[in-house]
Amino acid sequence: MSLLTRITAYSAKPALAGTWGVVSYGQLGELVGKARRTLAQLKLDRPTAFGLIGEHGPASTAWLIALAEAGHFVAPLAGNTAEHPAKLALINAQWIVATGDVTWELLPRVDEPSAHPLFEQLRAQGSAGLVLFSSGTSGTPKAMVQDFSTLLATYETRHPSRLPLLALLGFDHIGGINTLLGALASGAVLVVPENRSVQSVVTAMAEHRVGVLPASPTFLNLLLASGELQSRDLTSLKIITYGTEPMPEALLRRLRQAFPYVRFIQTFGTSETGIARTESPEPDSTFFRFSDHDLKWKVVDDELWLKSRTQIGGYLNSTNENFMADGWFRTGDKVESGPNSTLRISGRVGETINVCGEKLIPQEVESVILDIDGVTECRAFGESHALTGQTVAVDIVAAGNPDFESLRARIRTICRAKLARHKVPTRVNFVSRVSGERMKKIRIKKRTHR
Amino acid sequence: MISSEQSLALVLRRLAALGRELGKPALEQADGQTRLFGETAALDSIGLVTLIADLEEDIRIATGKTVTLADEKAMSRLTSPFRRVDLLAEYIVEVTSR
Repeated sequence: MSLLTRITAYSAKPALAGTWGVVSYGQLGELVGKARRTLAQLKLDRPTAFGLIGEHGPASTAWLIALAEAGHFVAPLAGNTAEHPAKLALINAQWIVATGDVTWELLPRVDEPSAHPLFEQLRAQGSAGLVLFSSGTSGTPKAMVQDFSTLLATYETRHPSRLPLLALLGFDHIGGINTLLGALASGAVLVVPENRSVQSVVTAMAEHRVGVLPASPTFLNLLLASGELQSRDLTSLKIITYGTEPMPEALLRRLRQAFPYVRFIQTFGTSETGIARTESPEPDSTFFRFSDHDLKWKVVDDELWLKSRTQIGGYLNSTNENFMADGWFRTGDKVESGPNSTLRISGRVGETINVCGEKLIPQEVESVILDIDGVTECRAFGESHALTGQTVAVDIVAAGNPDFESLRARIRTICRAKLARHKVPTRVNFVSRVSGERMKKIRIKKRTHR
Repeated sequence: MISSEQSLALVLRRLAALGRELGKPALEQADGQTRLFGETAALDSIGLVTLIADLEEDIRIATGKTVTLADEKAMSRLTSPFRRVDLLAEYIVEVTSR
């Protein structure tokens, strides 16, 4: 049964709960109809690229469904329109839908339709397109294009569920889209907290009797440390799914003590291949097993490789270097193999750093810092951290004898302005020289640059 | 060893500096009862990790000791030392006296 048919069938059941109150499936269906009529008035004669601006909510969900149904290409973007000129230009968006909770504004954007082969291929197939961006507030986030119609079809076999789900990952993230579509397909209510702070999430969970919490180990760690659990009634919680970063065994043990009646399920997904269905062999185990018919996996030199039905067609602005010619995607995740085809994520291959489940490479940070006056050499690296899995640390060689405290603050302030928050170094060490083979190249490059 | 007063002063000074860096003036008015994260005026996860890293550096300079404040021992406590300023200050006294 298609998603739209399901939404209609669920009718009076609550669909989306948040600061707007509660919107039923029937009301969501009406919003989809309204969006559909607005789309028809545009008289678009071919699949067209739309920027869909907003957060999880009734209006953004209605437009996501209406655009998919009509076979258009949609890039969900969190925040507001002014934040995304580069992304909107990259997809050659012709229209922008700026959504509030239950209202929207449709804004034309003057641009030529994209003739990118990935869009042309979707047009030829008659498929809708979903464009998601890799994390990053500056530089060039990668625009990943996938067949939205195929992705939606994977939700057609979901069993109905009464357990309210919490939306912790954003509307512009594959995990957030997966939570939203999973909730709609099963007729459950998606609960959207006011913001993603522990306090706000716990308040929303208690108020709407949330049954399923999809979260990262970092968030769960902060949830335990916050002390919020002692004063709230979270007895409705039945399932916690966790993913995006390795789960330390000690943290899982503490979580099981704090939530003795909750089932813990590890999930696994990448923006490139989508969210896979998995199962945990034992409640206390950090191992998991893929149980997804739409996905194939293998381990090559300790690295997990995936091939899925819902993987992206490619990037609009980057080469497909992590995709092999035969379609296998190299995840960059280092895994240990356990008994009975189970796996455990043990870290990242190479120098990739994983902070709160978000990944980065050291060079992204180094290139920003090396441009700062007063810095002559820099090496960024991942450091283990009990709160966030890993954190970004940098070794800096400073010019002359500066006020180190001011320079440290300036480095972080500039990084905050130019990099996504998880890429900002938390530890800034001042050293007399940086080490490592790669640094020789950076030093040479820097000298040439000057 | 760091005294309780010194430790509290260390945390408040570092929190104020981070407040200026992050453009969160409320952190400059913090006291022992200030919550470190979970509320609007306080820190997010990355902010908390930054505070901890800076404090570890301050402790190294003040005592010559290299300490790790956020480890499994700290995380598994019933009352997290990272919940409130005074709890963190007490924890620093404990860690530096080991």
